[in-house]
Amino acid sequence: MIQRTFSEGETVDFVVVGTGAAGGVLARELATAGFDVVAMEQGPWQHDSDFTHDELAVERQLAMLNRAFEPVQTFRTSAAEPARVTGARGLLYRRAVGGSSVHFAANYWRFRPVDFKERSRWGPIGGTAFADWPITYEELEPYYTKVDWQIGVSGAAGPFDPPRSRPYPLPPLPNKSSGVLLERGAQALGLHAQVAPMAILSQSRHGRAACQACGHCAYYGCEFGAKSSSLVTVIPEAVATGRCEIRTDSTVHRVDTNARGRATGVVYWDREGTERRQAARAVVLAANGAETARLLLLSASPAFPDGLANSSGAVGRHIMFNGAAYTNGRFEHPLNEYKGAVASRIVHDFYDADPARGFYGGGGIDARFPSGPIAFAVDGLPPDVPAWGPGFRQALGDYYTHTVRFMSHLTSLPVPGNAVTLDPDHPDRFGRPGLCLTYQDHPDDLMTKLWFVERTKELMEAAGATHVWNQPVLPVDGGVHLLGTARMGNDPRDSVVDRYHRAHDVPNLFICDGSSFVTSGRGQPTMTIQALAFRAAEHIGRFARSHAV
Amino acid sequence: MPDTPSTRRAFVADVGRAATVAWLSLQLPWLASLEGCAREDALKGAPYAGLTPGETEAMEAFAAQIFPSVHGAPGAVELGAVRFVDRALGEPFFAASVPVVRAGLADLDARARALSGGGKFASLAAGEQVAIVWQIEHGDFFKAARTLLLIGTFADPSYGGNQGGAGWAMIGIDHRPSYSAPFGYYDAQASAGSPRGAA
Repeated sequence: MIQRTFSEGETVDFVVVGTGAAGGVLARELATAGFDVVAMEQGPWQHDSDFTHDELAVERQLAMLNRAFEPVQTFRTSAAEPARVTGARGLLYRRAVGGSSVHFAANYWRFRPVDFKERSRWGPIGGTAFADWPITYEELEPYYTKVDWQIGVSGAAGPFDPPRSRPYPLPPLPNKSSGVLLERGAQALGLHAQVAPMAILSQSRHGRAACQACGHCAYYGCEFGAKSSSLVTVIPEAVATGRCEIRTDSTVHRVDTNARGRATGVVYWDREGTERRQAARAVVLAANGAETARLLLLSASPAFPDGLANSSGAVGRHIMFNGAAYTNGRFEHPLNEYKGAVASRIVHDFYDADPARGFYGGGGIDARFPSGPIAFAVDGLPPDVPAWGPGFRQALGDYYTHTVRFMSHLTSLPVPGNAVTLDPDHPDRFGRPGLCLTYQDHPDDLMTKLWFVERTKELMEAAGATHVWNQPVLPVDGGVHLLGTARMGNDPRDSVVDRYHRAHDVPNLFICDGSSFVTSGRGQPTMTIQALAFRAAEHIGRFARSHAV
Repeated sequence: MPDTPSTRRAFVADVGRAATVAWLSLQLPWLASLEGCAREDALKGAPYAGLTPGETEAMEAFAAQIFPSVHGAPGAVELGAVRFVDRALGEPFFAASVPVVRAGLADLDARARALSGGGKFASLAAGEQVAIVWQIEHGDFFKAARTLLLIGTFADPSYGGNQGGAGWAMIGIDHRPSYSAPFGYYDAQASAGSPRGAA
């Protein structure tokens, strides 16, 4: 497919920064609506044929992710302490066309009505900026359905699902042994396992192949194009309109504004490191919760001294990762969890927070493959099994194909001090300040994790595991869900964008990605990121047509 | 790749860079170069590039304790894990491990000398080697060297270890590019009991 390109002096209707879960949708929708769009992408354009099953490169060296390009990040638990350079993890995302939708696990849970109005239901929580969303589930539902049908989501209705206007477009992926065992455990405890909705094709669709069950989803790119990433869905559709250019290897480092306080375009480094500019009538940021915040902070000017669109001081703040807690179990017979998609069944009985628990927090549980063979050999065995020698060798054989993890995906609270900030002491290869994460778990988030460890332990035992062991609950120092750093809200004093994703401070600047989240949901944010993007694109297009940007 | 003065210098330079080079920098070119070198060396039985003959001997003996050959089935050594480690230590991604591994291998021999008076770790009886590994199993060398050896045992065979994918087969992986349901015992059992199959 040959894409339309725009020349340097041309002012386009929209420049979209980012081509991932949100940016891909926004580019597609705006171009389809008739606007000229340039979508800026820091990284390269890779394709199915570039992806491998190489565990050393993908899982240990994180070759697919940002830190292969920009290795240094810093971390501290409070602004009072000096930031230290972090190790392998930190703020993780992909810098390439399709963004993190390329390597995500493809769990596609919708939020539920309660997620949007939990502050009203629960009340204030000390140390947090817990708030209702300015929109409701009912307003977002048509866009969830649009995601299902536009990109291809496989699933089946479950007992706790929110109302949906259309069924899933595709039947569920095959149930795995882990799913059968989660069902068994849930049934024994009076709980309800249901089909895991996955953004993976269970049948071929629109020229894309069905899932081949290769077992390499999380952290890997799909070699078959069956994972419904932006790379193989909305991006090619955006290009096919003839009105959208995906400009790769282009690192945007500033949104320019004029004397009237309006955005005029973006400044970026091209693949040779030459600084260039793309002028646009409106700018849409969809660069993820870390990069969007960094870009706003880097775009400070005399008119916007604390960063663009940051009169509230909320830019970069309230970062939420979603808590995670695990129990592992070994079963008598082989499960072979190295085959198939990440999860086939989930338990949502504990989704709602419950005051009887004594703390705020809720989540969902899935059953999944524990790890690749390298990771499993290095530190996947239970602590009471030999770590070397003939007993270790024997245990690897006994456990690898027989082990499963029940994993909880949990709420995280928006704590104002938990923030992404600029670190000028650790610049990137362009000399741009690096990313610093300040983060300390809220006590309720820790309690939630500990509580869910007990629930997954009970489920594992009820499912008949012969050996059960927990992963320790450790303090969080990074994550892959980057949420809340440019939150939506009706009040410009405590939020960055309004209910239509328009920056309160800049009329022709829109921000839509994980940064828009007001609360964290229960662990699987991408479906909601894409629903927000479809909804935002519709409103942004409407504003543009009525000359209201 | 022969063990020439220039590759030795490059290896030592990596040791020096370990403190300053960011942990992941330059890793992508390495993946391509390592793949080529490892394949070539495995074919030619070329000398080791980073480890000295003495270090290689100690690492092989250590590897045989970590993931031993059992009843004729290959262990880490037979799968090429030590050759993988030798190559990996010359690359920036693992640069931080170089001083740890080098000091640890020397320490194995020093402990052997203390135990047997003049012997090397590799020359000790199996029981004596085990006793020494017990002494060091909570140390940095054990962790770094064990991790490297296990990567060599289970990484893609193109890196030089896990020859023929035998490491995968040993832990029950039926290595194929794709699969179809049923995948395991429990889903097979469930689908056999369901009139509509595995759905």
